[in-house]
Order: sequence, then structure tokens, then C-alpha cells
Amino acid sequence: MLSTVPLNVGRRRVCGSVFSPASLEAHPKSISDFRREQTPVASFQSSDSSSTFKADSQSTSFATIGGSTDTTSPEEDTLNQARQAAKEFLSVPNLGFELLYNFRNTDGSQVLKEWNRLSPPSKETAEALEYLMRTSPWTLFECQFSDWAIQGMDAVRRLNLLLKSPGEEGLLRTIVDCLQLARRIYLAPVVHYLLPLITTPHQGGFLAQLQRAFHTVVQYSLPWKKISPLLARELTQDAVVILGIDTLDEDSDADIMSLDGTEMERAYSVSYKDWKQGSPEVRAHMMVDGEDGRVTIARDRLLAFLNGLQLVGLGGDQAQKVFANVMNIMMGDFIRAAYAGEWESPSTVPQHLEQWIENVYARLVVHVLAIINSDPAGAQSGAMEVSLRDVEKWQVMGIARLGKLRVSELFDVIVDWPASSGAVEDLRRFTNNSSGARLYATNIFSVNLLQRLLHPGASTVEILQVYISIIRAFHILDPKGVLLDRIARPIRRYLRDREDTVKVIVSGLLADPATAEGPTATGDTLAELAAELTKVHHHSMQNNRSELDYDDLYWVPDPVDAAPDYKKSKSADVIDSLVSLFDSKETFVKEMQTLLADRLIQKRQNYDQEVTVLELLKVRFGDSALQACEVMLKDISDSRRLDLTVRNDQMLSGYRKQAGAGKLHAKVLSRFFWPEFQEQEFKVPDEITKLQARYATCFERRKDSRKLMWRNALGQVTVELELQNHTFKDEVTTRQATVIYAFQSDSSEPATKTIPELADELEMSPTLVRSACLFWVSKRILTEVQRDTFRVLEFLPTEDEEHHAHAAGDFSDVSDSEAGDTANAAAAAEAAAAAAAKESAEAAAMEKMNVYWQFIVGMLTNQGPMALNRIVMMLKIAVPGGFPFSNEELREFLGGMVSKGKLEIVNGGNYKIVH
Amino acid sequence: MDYSMEDTQNSAPDAQQASKLNSSGQKSDTQSVTKRLQAELMQLMLSPSPGISAFPDADGNLLSWTATITGPTETPYEGLTLKLSFAFPNNYPYSPPTVLFKTPIYHPNVDFSGRICLDILKDKWSAVYNVSSVLLSLQSLLGEPNNASPLNAQAAELWDSDQAEFKRHVLARHQDLDDE
Repeated sequence: MLSTVPLNVGRRRVCGSVFSPASLEAHPKSISDFRREQTPVASFQSSDSSSTFKADSQSTSFATIGGSTDTTSPEEDTLNQARQAAKEFLSVPNLGFELLYNFRNTDGSQVLKEWNRLSPPSKETAEALEYLMRTSPWTLFECQFSDWAIQGMDAVRRLNLLLKSPGEEGLLRTIVDCLQLARRIYLAPVVHYLLPLITTPHQGGFLAQLQRAFHTVVQYSLPWKKISPLLARELTQDAVVILGIDTLDEDSDADIMSLDGTEMERAYSVSYKDWKQGSPEVRAHMMVDGEDGRVTIARDRLLAFLNGLQLVGLGGDQAQKVFANVMNIMMGDFIRAAYAGEWESPSTVPQHLEQWIENVYARLVVHVLAIINSDPAGAQSGAMEVSLRDVEKWQVMGIARLGKLRVSELFDVIVDWPASSGAVEDLRRFTNNSSGARLYATNIFSVNLLQRLLHPGASTVEILQVYISIIRAFHILDPKGVLLDRIARPIRRYLRDREDTVKVIVSGLLADPATAEGPTATGDTLAELAAELTKVHHHSMQNNRSELDYDDLYWVPDPVDAAPDYKKSKSADVIDSLVSLFDSKETFVKEMQTLLADRLIQKRQNYDQEVTVLELLKVRFGDSALQACEVMLKDISDSRRLDLTVRNDQMLSGYRKQAGAGKLHAKVLSRFFWPEFQEQEFKVPDEITKLQARYATCFERRKDSRKLMWRNALGQVTVELELQNHTFKDEVTTRQATVIYAFQSDSSEPATKTIPELADELEMSPTLVRSACLFWVSKRILTEVQRDTFRVLEFLPTEDEEHHAHAAGDFSDVSDSEAGDTANAAAAAEAAAAAAAKESAEAAAMEKMNVYWQFIVGMLTNQGPMALNRIVMMLKIAVPGGFPFSNEELREFLGGMVSKGKLEIVNGGNYKIVH
Repeated sequence: MDYSMEDTQNSAPDAQQASKLNSSGQKSDTQSVTKRLQAELMQLMLSPSPGISAFPDADGNLLSWTATITGPTETPYEGLTLKLSFAFPNNYPYSPPTVLFKTPIYHPNVDFSGRICLDILKDKWSAVYNVSSVLLSLQSLLGEPNNASPLNAQAAELWDSDQAEFKRHVLARHQDLDDE
């Protein structure tokens, strides 16, 4: 409506040039009438882009009017009479809206008859019409028009009432039908009786004028705001069928149901799946040939409807806008329905999409635009509204939409990697198009990652797994690695914060690659890494190109959207990326040492796997970084040789005969290079101690100036137990062996011991003793006769007895515990072991708190008394790695120190050290 | 005794200036200084030596510390608590920290503003020294002053001539800074 003002101004100027100022004054009434009537026309035209034709016709008609009114003032009376007659003839009997509504589906002739619209005019009327036609055709128009303006508006207002209940199906169709009928009714007498009176060259103009007037009324009284959603709905309904989107939705259902083998034969299909299976020739025709009957019907229906729409004046620009909107949504819908989850490689999705746009999408657009044309003249000439360039533009848009879809799916695509590489190919096409797309892709993906991956609920293994997939997928997506660089930052930051990241990576590296060949999602190890290590090794040997290779003729600068500190990674090297997570190799190597230590201490035939991994890692990190690990491995192989020698010595010196208790093998570890062992020490049986001493002498004879320190808690023992009616042979830990050894007795009575006794005897913590005892209970060697008292189970109860025991268990607690099944005992043993572990963890925590206590003492000594908050703040600054306890925990701790008399609280709640 | 000579030797301001010059354009140095100081603090906390203690001030950058020395037994300082301030330059440990006695002390090698004459804090400084070694040196300095180059000539004289009078001076000058 904004443009109304200049147009009105323009019209006034036209009027000014046609009317002399005097004539304006002479007929102020008619002019003002005219102006009032004209306003809606003006507003209608203002929204019309192609107004040149109309503006011309307008000004000519003004001229006619102006001329006639100017010159015929003496004949005013005759004119008035004629006008009256014409008005009577042309006036529309207001039979009401109901009629209109009821007859909306007929061709209207019946109604016309009923309304007496087809009866020829009487002689006087005909004369009057002729006279009017001759003198001032505009008057006739005015007659007609004012009628419409009043009655038409009334009818349309009734239609408007319908609009208030927009839920009704096909409401717009009804409205359009009604309007079409109305139009026919109003135009019938004009077409039949007036047109012949007008000279042929003016006929077209006159009719157009009338039409436009009708359109104006319709448009003016039907608010577009209400029409447009209805129109959009109508369009969507049919477009969904024509574009094949509905069949796609069905397909996904059908796929589930068509297990019975009845494959639907469909020559015509827009489905990507069908298309992909076809040969290239079939592909080319699939969307063009053999259109579905439903589609044809839908198209005919839609086009007929749009025809009507255009006729009653609801077409044009605004309808085009709605159509454009609908088509926009359709494209998105189609892409979503057709390609979501279609990730197979090689991907032909873009080709399919382009073909669809060209053959189906563009076709519909051409059809529709030919009808709802903003320019009535253009509609008749059938000018091509859709150029080939438009189609190309849509194809580009389609690809962009596809990219968008893929970006939103990207997370799932990555999780499914490598089964989903096709999707990444699609995405690659999208991101290659513009740098905005790259930014968009990374941003969306980052958000997705944050929401779905980087939260405490995801296990580190999962995160690493996804990270590995990301590395691989993004390497294909963007070989330069800029996108990966951008995506990986938050992940890397997050992984750095996770405590067990190093552990997972290292254990992954040390895992057996043979198991990695199977399904990699084994849960708690990243066995994939081990395979990767050997694989990537071959690669890195081949293309070891550095950034400063001046002979590289294919060198290109870093992409423009690379981050300032972007560093091109050599390849999609997963291991490198993971290891570089940490600031220094030290963290990594340290963890490597711990894990390696655990594995090396175990009794095994060989350690080839560890050696291989270490060699491979050495290629990456250099020898010096992994020196400690190297020493560890060497220790193990050395001690095997040494063990042999020592044993030979022992044999030669005749020790063997006396050494009846068993064989002792030792692994000699260089303490400096091995990580600290947390195991709690205890006293081993005397026989073992003797063996150890003997072994040590032999060792010291071989290796001067070296001393052996026995780590009793580490190691394995092969235990053979002979009981009255059963035997046991297995490999157990030294701790378990020591405990069961304590039960050894020569007497026929089964030995009975309590936990405190054992703890004293073995100098072991009661929790550990209990854990070991429960282990033996689970092996059915011991039984817990009462709480914390264990007895050797010399006679394994037969099944009958067991049943009996179960039955008796109802009455006696003792027999109940005796019969307690081994699974329970095993669980209990585990629980006890966990308790023991917790105990040592608590001890470690206490140890830690001791360190903090030192800090607090140092702080309070040097800085004077301090309040709790300040202490916490200072601890956070001063303690490396931060202070993990809360204010409350610290308050409790300091409270304990106050009660111990090490601290005192001075004025203002400050803590002060007591000297 | 020429005090001004000694003053130039006790070149606290100079050291600071030098460190400023050195530190310009070496931002990463601050990082390594912090790391080193943190390590030293950890070491002090994990293996505390009797009679000495040190802790960073509350300004949060770890470059200034306060230390406490308990007077060694069988010296005039026995039972006294002496506070010191450490100011670490940005290129620590390549330059020595500036160490001052905060507690007023009567000592041949310490002047009345607390400045200390100790070779390892000046030209004999080496990067292997640390807070704890400096504190131990100072602790031993309390028992064995270097009277060859005194900052407080009277104290040096008195130390050699009259230990009882010296101790009286020490106690007279000493006042606890603590518990303000």
C-alpha cells in the first residue's frame, strides 16, 4: 500500500492534464464520486507490477469520461432517465448467499435463469442502454460496479464468515467456486447484451475493466491474510502428491511391511532407493515416464483450482508468493523424506536430486506459473515464466538443502562411520560450494557434539570412538583439515579434562589387534587403536612429507578460513591426534608405564605384543621418551635369563633337594624405571622367605653391588591343594596363596582361623584377609562357619547333602552360610576386594590430605591467621592440580585439627597455628 | 665502616631492574617461573625442614612469598620467629630472589632495613639454589655470621667480644610481626 500515494499523485497529475481546473469546479460531485469509487482500484493496481497496460486504459477511460461529462450537461435529464433504466436492468437481485453457496458446483445457468438474468431487455431498456453506450459507457460501468460494490461485498462478506472456521477441508475451493458463480452471474447480462453495443476495439478493454472491478471487490473484501494460509494448504495438499513426497513417506512404511516378498512394481518413482537400483537408462526415464494416475489426477485438480482462483482475481502476485512459499517447504520436505538416512557410498544423491528438480519440481512450477500469472496479458500469451537458469538455481538450492540435511544428520553419520561415507560425500559437495557452508556445518556440528557427546553420560571410550570417526570422516570431507581443526578443539579440550582418557588410549594401544578385527564396539577398550597403530605406521613410512618440503610442487597455502594456529596434520593420523591431546608426552608415557607394568608382571609365555607396540611407539615418539618402558621390557627379558642362571646355580649347589616347598621364579625390576606400586605388603610364608633369601644370594653372586627387594604383593602362585575328597589347582595371587597357606595343617582336623588371627599372623590388613578368604570360599576350599571365622572344607558335600543343607538352611544360620552358594561367595570376595581397594584409596586420600595440611601449616605460619575462605582460595592457587575438597570438607578437617590442638580459632573465625 | 659501599653491593633495586629488562618480550618466562615456584612449594610442603617454612603471598602470582625461620638452638636467636619476604624476579631461577628480613633483627650481616649480605643471594647465586636452600643458608647464617663483611659493624664487633651483650641487643631489637 505504500506505493499507493505516488500512484494517486500520478493519477491526479493525469487528471490535471485532462480536466481543466474550471471543469473540476463545475462538476465537483461527479468527480468526487469518481474518486471515491476509484480508490480501491488504485490500491489494487498499486500492488500490481505490470501496470503499464492498465494505466493506459485507465487514462483513456478518464479522457472519455472527462470529455463526456464535460460536454453533455444539457442532456442531463435524458441521461439520468437512461441511467435509471439501465440500473434497473443490470441490478442484481440480492437472492442471498445461500443460493450462491448451494449452486456453487453448477455452471450457473440455472441460477441465472432463476435470477432472470438471461431475459432480453425490454425495448425501452435496450434503447436506454444504447443511448448510454453511445454517450457515456462509463455510466454503465458505474451502474454495474456500484451494484457489485454493495451486493458483491455482501456476498463476499458471507464468504468471509466461512473463513472464520478455517478448519474445514477444501474451504478455499468452495469459496472460489462461489466466487466463480457470482462472477458469471454478474457478467452474464453484460456479455450478452452490452458487449454487442460497444465497438469491437473497445470490447476487450471494457471487459477487462469490468473484470478488474470484480477482482477489486473480491480482493478488497476477502482479507489476504486469511486466504493465504488456506491457499498454502490447498497447494501443499496437491503438491505433496505431485512431487511424490507422499509416496516416499509410504515407502518407509512399506519397507517395513513388505517382508512378505510382494515387491511393488512401480515404473514411476521419485524414491531414491528405487532410482539407485535401476540402471542408468532406467534412471533417466524413471521420473518422466509412466506417471502415476494419482499424480495426474492431483495435478489436474490443482491446475483447475488455480484456474478458478486466477479467474476470480485471487491469483496473481500474492498467490505466486504463497506458491513460492509452498514450493520452498516442499523442497525441504522432499529432501528430508527422500534422503534422510540414505548414507551408502558411493552416493548418487546429488544427481538424483538434480534430476528430480528438473523433471518433477520444475515441471510443476511451470504448470502453475502459467496459470497464476500476475500479468493477465502474459497469461494469454503463455510466456515461459521459468527459464533454464531458474532451474539451475533451484538445483543449487536443492544441493544446499541436502547439505543442510546432512549437517543435521552429521552426528549420526559419524557414529555410523564408515557405513555412512556416502553422506559425507554429499556434504563434501555442499561444503565445497561456499565457505559459509563450511562455517555452518562446523557450527551446527559443534552444537550437536556438545549436546550429544560431551557430557558426563558418555563414556570416554565412546567419545574417543566418535572422535576417531570424526577424524576419518572429516579427512574425507576436507583433506586440508581446517574443518577438523575447528571441530576437534572442543572435543580435545573436553577429553583433556577427562581423567581416564590417557588410560583408555594406552590400553587401546596395548590391546590385542586380533580382537580389533571383530566388532570394535567391545565396550571398554579401543582395540581399534592397536590395529590403527600398525596400519598407520606403514603409511607414515611412505609419505613423510613435512611442511617445509621445497620440492613439493603441489604445495598450496593454508585455506583462508583456517585458524591462526592451524597446523596441517600430516594425514588422518588418529594416533597422532590422540596422543597430541596432552601437552607433553610425559603424561602419556607415564600411563604407558603403569599399564605396561601391570601387563609385564603377569605371568605369560612371551610379551611380543608389548614389544611390538613399544617399537611402533618409538618410531613416533623417539627412543628417549620411551626409555623407561624400554628398560621395563629389558628387565623382563633379562630376568628371564637371570632366572635360568640362578636356578642352574641352585641346582649345582645342591639346594634343590632341600627346597621342597616349591619353585620360585623372580622378575627383577629396576626400581628407578618402574612406576610406584600401590600394593600393600605382607608377610609371606617362611618357606618362601627362605627361597627368596637363597635366590637373593645367587643373584647377588651374579650381579655385584645389587640388592634384591622382594615385592610380595606382586606375582602369581600356582597353588595345588589336596583336601580329603577334592583337589584344587589354579593360579592365584600371592596374597590369596599366602592366606590359604596359613590354613595348612598336618592334623586331620580341618583348620579354623579367624580374620584377626590371620591379619596378625600375615601382617596383612583385615580387609585384604577377608577378601582372600572369601575368594577361597568361592572356590569351595574354605567355609565361613561364623562371621570372620573360616574353616577348611575338607569334605566337599555331595549333592544330596547339599540339598539337605539347603533344607536345613531354613532353620539354622550356620548351615545357611555353609550352603551359601559359591556364586555368592565369589561376589562377596569381589566386594571385599573392592572394600580393600577402597581402604587403600582412603589411605591415599588421607595421605593427600596430609599434603594439604602441610600447605595449610605453611600458609598459616607465614601469612598469619586466615579465614576459611582465604585458606581455600590460597590452596586453589598454590596446590598444583587444584584443591579438590569443598569448603565444608575443609572446615571439618580444620575442625579436627583444632580439636587435636594443632590449630586455634582466633578473633573473627580466623585459623591460627599453635606453636 | 663505609655503609654506602655495602649498600651498592646489596643491590636489591638493581636486581629488580635487571629482571625487568630481561623479562621484556619473554612472556612465556612467567609461565616457567610459576611452574618452578610451584614445584619448589610442593617440595617444601612434602619434605619440610624443621625451623623453616615459606608460602606464597595472597596476591596470586606466586612471585612474592613470605618465609619464616625459627631461630636455631644455641644461638642468640633461639626461640625467636623471624619473618622474611621473598620477591622473585621474572627470570628466576637465573637471577636470585630479593630476600629481606621483615622482622627487625640484630645481626652482623643484616642492616636495619632488613637487607641481607649473603653471597649466594648476590654473585654466588646459581639456579640450583631454591627457597629452601636459601632459608637453610640464612638459618645457619644466624648461628655463624660472616664477620668479614658486616653490614652492622657494631653487631659484628659485639658478636666477637661480648655474646651476652649481643643477645641482649638481639632480644631488644626483636619484635614479633605476627598476629596483627
